[in-house]
Amino acid sequence: MDTVQSVSIGNCGEEILNVSNLSVFRSGSKVIEDINISIACGEFVGIVGPNGGGKSTLIMTILGVLKPKSGTVKIYNQWPLSKGITGKVGWVPQTASKLPTNVHITVKEFITLGTLKIKSLFYPLKKDRLTVKKIIEIVGLEEYTNTRITHLSGGQRQRAAIGKALASDADLILMDEPMVGVDREARNSIMKLLDGLCHEQNKTIVMISHDLTSIKQTVHRMIYLEEKIRFDGPTIDFPGLSELARLRGIESTHEETDFKPIKKSENEATIILVPGSREEE
Amino acid sequence: MDIGSWIIRQLSPILKDLAPHVPGEFFPNYFLLEYFHRPLIASFFVALVAGFLGTFLLIRNLALIGDGLAHVSFGAIAIGLVFGGMDALWYALIFSTISAILIDELQTRKILDGDAAIAIFMTGMLGLGLVIMRIWGGTASRLVDGYLYGDLLLVDPQSFNIIVIVCIIGYLSMLFLYHSLLSISIDPIAAKVQGLPVRLIRIYFSVITAAIVVSMVQIVGALLVTALIVAPAATAQLIGRSFRSCAILSQIIGVITVLLGLYFSAEHSTGSGSMIALVASCIFLLTAILKFSKNLVLKPNEN
Repeated sequence: MDTVQSVSIGNCGEEILNVSNLSVFRSGSKVIEDINISIACGEFVGIVGPNGGGKSTLIMTILGVLKPKSGTVKIYNQWPLSKGITGKVGWVPQTASKLPTNVHITVKEFITLGTLKIKSLFYPLKKDRLTVKKIIEIVGLEEYTNTRITHLSGGQRQRAAIGKALASDADLILMDEPMVGVDREARNSIMKLLDGLCHEQNKTIVMISHDLTSIKQTVHRMIYLEEKIRFDGPTIDFPGLSELARLRGIESTHEETDFKPIKKSENEATIILVPGSREEE
Repeated sequence: MDIGSWIIRQLSPILKDLAPHVPGEFFPNYFLLEYFHRPLIASFFVALVAGFLGTFLLIRNLALIGDGLAHVSFGAIAIGLVFGGMDALWYALIFSTISAILIDELQTRKILDGDAAIAIFMTGMLGLGLVIMRIWGGTASRLVDGYLYGDLLLVDPQSFNIIVIVCIIGYLSMLFLYHSLLSISIDPIAAKVQGLPVRLIRIYFSVITAAIVVSMVQIVGALLVTALIVAPAATAQLIGRSFRSCAILSQIIGVITVLLGLYFSAEHSTGSGSMIALVASCIFLLTAILKFSKNLVLKPNEN
């Protein structure tokens, strides 16, 4: 089995991320409030919720880019961005798939950037070059090693972005909407890739997504975030549409019970799509 | 430290040996006469380091920073000449460095776009320089003109030494920080999460950018600085397949540009700076035309 020489700090099953009583404000207004999450090593967690519900804010706070108003975020029991956990956290941004076209950088060069650490600030170490090769295989981009990122399809770019995050030998991988701009086929294979990372390499993945259907087929645990956590539990227990509406405090505009409308203003394409998912099985 | 004259001593014999193989009527003089060796070597150094710098500036959307900082240092020189106290060059260096850091900061914090920030600093400092000059200046204004339109052929040993040192330090810095610079330009958040000192690297890059531009402007003029920073890097982007090849090609194209520019300027006795700038743009234009016509012929159905 090709493990990426992972020097896990803890055994699997141990808590890797702890968020407690977290509230975050952005430009003076409250975005998320009183968030408590504990994630164990090897879990594959999907964070879903409406636009403006605070998903990205939560991830940015976990990364240490945004500062909490109150509450704490601990990764391996240490503060975000502290020296002890450098390289243990990987980040796959939403923008990975929208790299500016004037950056002529190949898949190999791009993934190599992920291996940079303070120690190899000046030059990638030999060991890192081997890691890069291995990771390109893991994300399945061997034949595109020397292709420019901007010449790849959305799905391939996303694979490259995942590879970059893996390259730092991260245990905890945070992803912001990794499936934006990815076609259906590619999405399935990326989800398989991620699932494999969890099961075979004990990576912990926390993924934000709009796409309830697709995420529900893959992740082990779902968190519904809309300012507060409205649901947190195994995917299997994720509530149906009407229950979800109740959890979110959305009232029915019609009397008929068998006709379940969704308020247009609160609309998310994903929720409407739920019954029509054709990718299952 | 007099690295400049050491380099001249090393390279002069080689240039002289090359002279018989150099084409043209007047151009071989650049290689034959020691008087021309300083400008020739200086332009090589400048072309290499500017080409390299340009590759990074293009991906950071700061193509015009060379021009901007050149004008900032013009204003700073004016202030320096009026107020004195230390060499005007130091004023240029200090003001340019501060401007470079602030321009970068404004862009990173998404307060202003790179080019808008450059425009503000450039015009503001230029205006300040001109006003100060008009009020207290007197005769100093002629010195400033020379600074803005500098002449490659008038490189004295002292400024040659400065440019060589700055070029070497700048080049080595970029070589060592190559991956880090790329990383923070592409995804600063990821770089931060990886534990890289993102802010420090950014500031350092601004400092070397300013130092390179200031040292170059004095000798080759603002026009040539921008031409040698932007055009070769942009040309390299047309043909390079990877970032690495872009970085290398950009330097090679820079050197070719300088050689051709000096050749034409010698043969047609025009100003060296303007000819080099012209050649730089022409090379870009030719490459672009070749590339797109090739695509039209070979892959007519591709978008």
